[in-house]
Amino acid sequence: MISTGINGIDEMLGGGIPKGSRVLYSLEPGVDGQIFMISTLISALSKGLSCLVIIPHTTFDVFKHEAATKRGCTLEIFNKKIAYIDAVDRDRIQKSSRNRKDIQNAWEIRVKKLCTENAVEVVFLYLDLIYEDLGLDGAFAIVDSAKTSKKTTLIVENLNLEGRHLIDAFLTDSKFDLIITLNSSLHSLPRFNYFTLLHASWSKIPSRSVPFITTQGKVVLYIPKIVITGPSQTGKSTFVKNASDIGFSIDRKGTTGDPTTVAMDFGWLNWKDFDITLYGTPGEPRFDSLVPKLLSHAMGAVLMIDATKPQSLERARYHLKLMIEKHLVMIIAANKSDLPDTMSDSEIRKGLKIDKNIPIFFISANRKADVKLVLETLVDFIVQMSP
Amino acid sequence: MYNFKSGISQIDQVTGGFESGTNFLILAPSMSLAEELAFSLTKPFPGEYAIVLSTNDRASEIVEAFKMMNIDKRYVGIIDAITKSSIPGITDTNRLMFVASPTDLTGIGIKFSKMVELIFDGEFSDGESGLFPPPIRFCVNSISTLLMYRKLEVLYQFLHVLTSKVKKIDGVCFYLLNNESFDEKTISLIKQLMNGVVEVKIDQNNQYLRIQGLKGVSSDWMKFLMQKGQVVIG
Repeated sequence: MISTGINGIDEMLGGGIPKGSRVLYSLEPGVDGQIFMISTLISALSKGLSCLVIIPHTTFDVFKHEAATKRGCTLEIFNKKIAYIDAVDRDRIQKSSRNRKDIQNAWEIRVKKLCTENAVEVVFLYLDLIYEDLGLDGAFAIVDSAKTSKKTTLIVENLNLEGRHLIDAFLTDSKFDLIITLNSSLHSLPRFNYFTLLHASWSKIPSRSVPFITTQGKVVLYIPKIVITGPSQTGKSTFVKNASDIGFSIDRKGTTGDPTTVAMDFGWLNWKDFDITLYGTPGEPRFDSLVPKLLSHAMGAVLMIDATKPQSLERARYHLKLMIEKHLVMIIAANKSDLPDTMSDSEIRKGLKIDKNIPIFFISANRKADVKLVLETLVDFIVQMSP
Repeated sequence: MYNFKSGISQIDQVTGGFESGTNFLILAPSMSLAEELAFSLTKPFPGEYAIVLSTNDRASEIVEAFKMMNIDKRYVGIIDAITKSSIPGITDTNRLMFVASPTDLTGIGIKFSKMVELIFDGEFSDGESGLFPPPIRFCVNSISTLLMYRKLEVLYQFLHVLTSKVKKIDGVCFYLLNNESFDEKTISLIKQLMNGVVEVKIDQNNQYLRIQGLKGVSSDWMKFLMQKGQVVIG
């Protein structure tokens, strides 16, 4: 196995990448995902594997500096283990070739020669310029030429400007073993990157998406935080409990004799390949100082209101104000809508002073299906999978 | 909705400026004042930010150009696609970022996102405006150079993503394209991505501009000159 250089992904893959595999890191424009390829390169070099780096977009000097900046470690110590083809070579190939076929031949000869001479075990290929020069078939021919033995592992990074059908081509036409797409949410704030493990030929793990940040040269996978907030007795704890695969609540009996949350509710669930952590805030005013802290760094929030109690909307406006201040993606869940005498959509909007941009769901927190629908919609909003 | 002032009183009085979330192509011949015009439209007003992608000049030259316009450099970010090829070890700062070459669309996209993120997170400058979303002007100088390095189809897809992001973050972006160097088909394709076009022409030593796609502004040719980084009509 070759480590990706990212522990969390290695674990998901059952230890790393089997030797001889074809791996694609597909980058959406703008997502800071170059560290994935560089992490895998440094991991391979650290294990003493001989590597060929094909970087048609830049010179080797610039590449080395970028790798050092991103990963915080120099490639110089691995000089004997790295062969490369860079922008200077691409320029030479372009100038000395008369047509596309010549260019392709020149690439194939150069790649094979370096792989053979250096007994290359892993090839790292930045594909998008080769794809542009030679078309997809030509690019795949270069990919094939890099596989000089069954054990040669091929790691490809590609800037995907075309969407899913290009990824499908990698899967079906060139039979890539591992495809990881790197994307970013379309919201301006809070902004986050996530990768999706779309396909791993040697593993039965389902497609899975996980947000990540890059910090100090490392990829850190993290779990989104979604906060359920609102006035007391609106059903936040019930919501968290019914939304979660695992969860618990820190409750005490309140003045009415009903349980009330005195610290927070926690819940965990896995949905659409995201591991989600839910935080339920206490609703009693005496715990108000906790709420802004719980909302910090959240990726989205649900404001729970009691659809049968118009008088609770004034208190809900306090929570709404905090959510707006944090620029959170939000949904309003009007709970107890299965009871008689509930407020209408327009009454709630008027009471909360909100426009049509914030969706209101009429739910019963006792019904798991209602709760899941609210969360599914919120996660969709967060990652912009739907409008 | 936020409006970005053009700095041209005749236009701002009628329209209030460029609407947020819009993309404008500056179509101009060689040896015109197109770059100065683009920088003038990109210069940040108080409370605003500007991000310039430079595929022609080094960051130091862009900084100098903005300095000549008396712009506070704390609010100007530059993505330089020139310098790194000659100085591989040059490192990024919050306001000056470098990509390997104009070929490197992956790097350009990442640096754009990073700079925008810094502005949104309030970490770009020590004097934040407090406006949210922060109003950001962008300038791509130039599409002409990018087309020398990448194929039209690829660049079209890349610009499609970029124009959408500008729209999403309620910014405004000006893209320079030399209309003498490319055929009508190329220009038409790029125009499809834009909300409007600022055209420049030179006639008997005079410079003219006209703006299409800005509501309330006539698309007639207007004589203009540049004075200390300011567009002066008439």
